[in-house]
Amino acid sequence: MKNMKEIDIPIEASVEQSRTNPLARVFDELVRFCRSRSMFMLHYCTGCGAIELPPAMTSRFDMERLGIQPMVTPRQADILLITGYVSIKTLKRVILTYEQMGSPKYVIGICSCTVNGGMYWQSYATAKQLDQYLPVDLYIAGCMPRPEAVLEGMRKLMDRIRSGEADGWKDYYRRYDWYLGNQQHLFGDDWQTPADVIGEASHYDLAGSGTEGEHTHLLQQCQKPLEPQQTFFQIGGSLEVKGESHE
Amino acid sequence: MSKTVTPWLDNLLQEIEGIEIRRKDSRRVRIDIAADSLPTLLELLRGRAGYVHLSAITCVDWIDESQFELVYQLWSYESQSLVSAHIRIARDPGVYVSVFDLYQPAAFFERDIHEMFGVYFEGSPDMSKFILTEWNGPPPMRKEFDAEAWVNETFERKEYQPDWLKEITEQGGGIVKSPEEARQKKP
Repeated sequence: MKNMKEIDIPIEASVEQSRTNPLARVFDELVRFCRSRSMFMLHYCTGCGAIELPPAMTSRFDMERLGIQPMVTPRQADILLITGYVSIKTLKRVILTYEQMGSPKYVIGICSCTVNGGMYWQSYATAKQLDQYLPVDLYIAGCMPRPEAVLEGMRKLMDRIRSGEADGWKDYYRRYDWYLGNQQHLFGDDWQTPADVIGEASHYDLAGSGTEGEHTHLLQQCQKPLEPQQTFFQIGGSLEVKGESHE
Repeated sequence: MSKTVTPWLDNLLQEIEGIEIRRKDSRRVRIDIAADSLPTLLELLRGRAGYVHLSAITCVDWIDESQFELVYQLWSYESQSLVSAHIRIARDPGVYVSVFDLYQPAAFFERDIHEMFGVYFEGSPDMSKFILTEWNGPPPMRKEFDAEAWVNETFERKEYQPDWLKEITEQGGGIVKSPEEARQKKP
């Protein structure tokens, strides 16, 4: 321990210990700058807010001049854009998508519905607060926010990435037990995803006291091994089975 | 064939007893019929009047009368006209026969109504979950299901009390009516 002040934040201290290069902070600055200027955006168009994205991306407002481009797969994307209400059924898919993305990753919630349910405040089918299930870095409120507001939000996210404040993805690893508990509350005790979040947390050296807890123990109890995918082909009336036998 | 519902349809429908026909329009007929006679009516309309398209089956929950109303919307491409057949069934046990043998798209509508209202259709090919695959509660479109109470029990809400709103509220503005108050004023 070089500095007693750093002990207050134990996770930060463990990162600081490994930094021996005197230019590390300069490199960090450079890396964060580059990160903030080239962001691939996966827009998960859950609701009506998606209609404001085409004008934000095309020639009138032209998001690409900020270095933001749409991306087609979650594994290559940096930003997950949730544009509107998230039904409980969609939320499962959103979480699966989020856990596939490579770190660092940022979540933006657009529209009032992601903040507090919006006009679906008394609907049985929609989740109310997105940040209970995923670490949201930025909300762009409005019903719906105009493209100017979307761009303003993107500028804000870029500033936060450059200053290192946009670390919601770290929060997901550090407080995974809390997020998982909220997910289990909606989806039931047997909820599981293919991603090994606890393993990733220890890989990134981000496992904290909140990573594991009662909810992750429940997950480990209920976890079933992933089964190989079965493919069925119907050829000429007889059902042929390719891949794993289903008997 | 003319584009109005021709008199021969009336003659055809006279073959069924206990039927009430109301013309809403030159191309729209509402038929109220006893639940037992509906399959016969559909068979007549499909087989002899060209109403080959079942657009939708709608369910209405009349909780005070302890009944479900089922509305079968039938469309004829030949006469370009719509027939709505209304039946009432008892809310408890809420069981009716499927019309899948006459109209195959009925399978989807019946599955949907089973999910939303809990009406069971005998003879329908699939009564498993359809859209609400994550839902384990009671059928949510039934009138006795209180969605707001369920939401308040399941979800938390974010408090939002910014300073500017407090200032406006002090001056007599802001949120004038809470949802509860707004609802009480209804007769």
